[in-house]
Amino acid sequence: MTRCSLNFPSSGRGFAPNDALALTCGRGHHAVVAQSIVEVRELRKTFKVHEREAGLGATVRGVFKRRFKDVNAVAGITFRIDPGEVVGFLGPNGAGKTTTLKMLSGLLNPTAGEARVLGYVPWRRENAYLRRMTLLIGNRSQLQWDIPAADSLLVLKEIYGLTDDRYRRTLGELTELLALGELLHKPVRNLSLGERMKVEFAAGLIQSPEVAFLDEPTIGLDVSMQSRIRQFVSEYNRRSGATILLTSHYMDDVVALCKRVLVIHHGKLLYDGALSGLADRLAPYKRLVATLRGGNADGIDFSSFGEVASREEGKVTLHVPREGAAERTAALVRALGDRIEDLSVEDPPIEDVIDRVFTSGAEVMA
Amino acid sequence: MIRVYRALLIAQLQLAAQYRLAMFLYLLFSIMRPLIFLAAWSAVALARGGSVNGFTPADFAAYYVILTIVQHFVSAWNQYDFELQVRMGQISPRLVRPLDPIHYAVAENIVWKSFTFVGVLPVLAIIVVTYGVQFRIEPWQIVLFVPSLLLAAALQFFISWAIASTAFWTTRTHAVSTLFDRTAFIFAGQIAPLSLLPGVLQQVAYVLPFGYIYGVPTDILRGGHDLVTSLALMGLQAAWVAAAFAASRIVWRFGIRAYTAVGA
Amino acid sequence: MSRYLRIVLLFAKLEAQFELAYRTNFLFDLLQQVVITFTSLGAVFILFSYTDTMNGWTLPAMIVVVGVFYIVQGVGDLVFLPSAQQLMEHVRLGTLDFVLLKPVDAQFFVSLRRIKFTSIVEILLGVGIVVAGFTRLGAVDLVAAALFVITLACGLVLVYVLLLVLGTLAFWFVRVENLLVVYEAFTDAARFPIDIYPFWLRFAMSSLVPIGVAVTVPAQAVAGRLDGVGLIVIFAATAAATVFGRWFWKVGLRSYTGASA
Repeated sequence: MTRCSLNFPSSGRGFAPNDALALTCGRGHHAVVAQSIVEVRELRKTFKVHEREAGLGATVRGVFKRRFKDVNAVAGITFRIDPGEVVGFLGPNGAGKTTTLKMLSGLLNPTAGEARVLGYVPWRRENAYLRRMTLLIGNRSQLQWDIPAADSLLVLKEIYGLTDDRYRRTLGELTELLALGELLHKPVRNLSLGERMKVEFAAGLIQSPEVAFLDEPTIGLDVSMQSRIRQFVSEYNRRSGATILLTSHYMDDVVALCKRVLVIHHGKLLYDGALSGLADRLAPYKRLVATLRGGNADGIDFSSFGEVASREEGKVTLHVPREGAAERTAALVRALGDRIEDLSVEDPPIEDVIDRVFTSGAEVMA
Repeated sequence: MIRVYRALLIAQLQLAAQYRLAMFLYLLFSIMRPLIFLAAWSAVALARGGSVNGFTPADFAAYYVILTIVQHFVSAWNQYDFELQVRMGQISPRLVRPLDPIHYAVAENIVWKSFTFVGVLPVLAIIVVTYGVQFRIEPWQIVLFVPSLLLAAALQFFISWAIASTAFWTTRTHAVSTLFDRTAFIFAGQIAPLSLLPGVLQQVAYVLPFGYIYGVPTDILRGGHDLVTSLALMGLQAAWVAAAFAASRIVWRFGIRAYTAVGA
Repeated sequence: MSRYLRIVLLFAKLEAQFELAYRTNFLFDLLQQVVITFTSLGAVFILFSYTDTMNGWTLPAMIVVVGVFYIVQGVGDLVFLPSAQQLMEHVRLGTLDFVLLKPVDAQFFVSLRRIKFTSIVEILLGVGIVVAGFTRLGAVDLVAAALFVITLACGLVLVYVLLLVLGTLAFWFVRVENLLVVYEAFTDAARFPIDIYPFWLRFAMSSLVPIGVAVTVPAQAVAGRLDGVGLIVIFAATAAATVFGRWFWKVGLRSYTGASA
């Protein structure tokens, strides 16, 4: 299993004592060994779903006799996350990402399996655990609509029992990092979607959590706001050393933030490892792009060199097996000679890899 | 127009089927009020040795059973819905259609009132049994009751539409509605049959439109008035309907003008 | 404990800020409430223009009932009802997750989250009416006054549990706001002493929807109509309801988080 071990807290920039974001609690017993922050073993969640049928007759029948179907939202997954890692959790809708995050944050009890986060069993929902973690959900707001976020934050301060001093320092750092400016003092309903998400981040991180679960944090945001949020998450991780597990639909998020990814599909873990290894593992082919002189590719049969992915205006894209890529390229050059104007061999784009896995349902275990 | 209404009614019926549970729960609320005052008046009748001005507990029960039916078909809720629609901006798409939004409300009233009436019946049956009600209803009373009920429904509907239309200017329509409802609570025959209202209150009930909303049709069916009085009261009802219709059109027109001037 | 107190005070402060932003609303609410209260009193006077007692209740005693009714309904409207609505909304929008992730007791959090300050008017009017009834009743001894306060507190607990249970139902049924109509309908009936109602309604209002007991029993206490048995029953009922409410909430929460109940 390939795993990039990121050690932001010890490498990178050290913690200055006055760095408000630096984790203050629980450092002691975790610093002893490079112990995992998140440990998940054979975690499983099965939902009983009431089967509904259309039509009045079926509806009436359903009142008396309900039919249930078991749905395996999470079908036994195992992984570990080390301190300070930023891990991307990938998968199509309904793959089990959110269910897993909910179990890890204690909102759902699993059907079977084990999990420890910071040494706690999440679903016991001990206050000691809740104080040290956070869950941010992209399209849900924990702030009150009609009042400024600053007022909601004061409630959070009391709920987490933060001292005035610690609260001020953390909020100061978050204000700077997120460039909140006056946003905290405007009623939440007057904020744009992106501004609101920044304020949600401030609310979700005010307790300086050691573990942050981010569920689609950039959903619905425009491109520039997405990249701002990304920069923030990366900088936050660097400064605080918090461990982050994030799900996202946007590959850009994952590429920018996560060296390591978990790919989940139909409740099963398909891949756990470095982002760079994902293509090797899941897409055993390379892209061979040839541009022909004069823009004319008519009459040439490319299928003997590889699978023709696209063919337009004298530009041909072939998928060739990873192992034989060099030989095929050489063969192509031999066959076409100086009719080739440009030739490149590259890894397929990560979106395509993921998409291919999800549509083909390939079960390639890392 | 008939085809338009057919479509509107079908759409409302589908909505009604979807929200049937909610509807029946709301029914509970409209059934409870008459029941409360029925119990209170029965207690008063018993304390006086059996009757209040000729009303025995069974008579009160007959009165309130009929009142419940009348109230069911007459009461309107447009003023509450409409304020919400204006505030949420849901009214704009309707305004651009070539059909006066009042027709949506009419269709809604017809469907929901008939649909939920089924739910009222069992409760009425329980009351009839509990209080040993005996109805003494002459055929002519039924003949007059039906048009009187329709007039009452039209009266209440146009009043509520006029109040609803004020939502174009003010977001405080709810307060106006409450004020109207509470006045009706006293004068329309809910807290007491009109004939039991003390002197001045009774005159107010008949001079203002309130008495014609619930009290008059209820009394006609119950046999509280003779034929001539009943016809006279229905004439007044019709006059109030005409007035309320005119008022609702005027308020609506000014409301639209105010709304389109400001934009929303 | 003091942390919990501070949190409640903060909730209150937030809500006050929110309501102050809509001052005209407050005035209109006030006007509505005054009209509603006085028409209710008017109804009582009309009834008593035909009699001196209703099922043994004299006019002053009945005025006390109306006053208690507005106190109980007002406290419900002040915090329990809006909080129950908020809970249902949290479940519907999925934002309850955020509440559950906070290191405080979730039942505490959802029970006192919303405060609708305009309802204080309702409570004050109720208190005024109770006092007016008291003075008309003649001498009310200290014991009766003490019993009144204690039974009123019990009644408020019963109303709280009722609304907590209705709110908790949201864990199983998503569109449950409509169930609050049940609360409102039965609350409406609590304006008169429950002993005037037919058996089935009396039963419903003292067991399933105990709002009737919550209003009638304190009024009985001042009217000298409460006996030892009634007192013991309301104490027992309050204790049982409190335990039941907590249990039901936990079961609801377990169902929400998918633990086997």
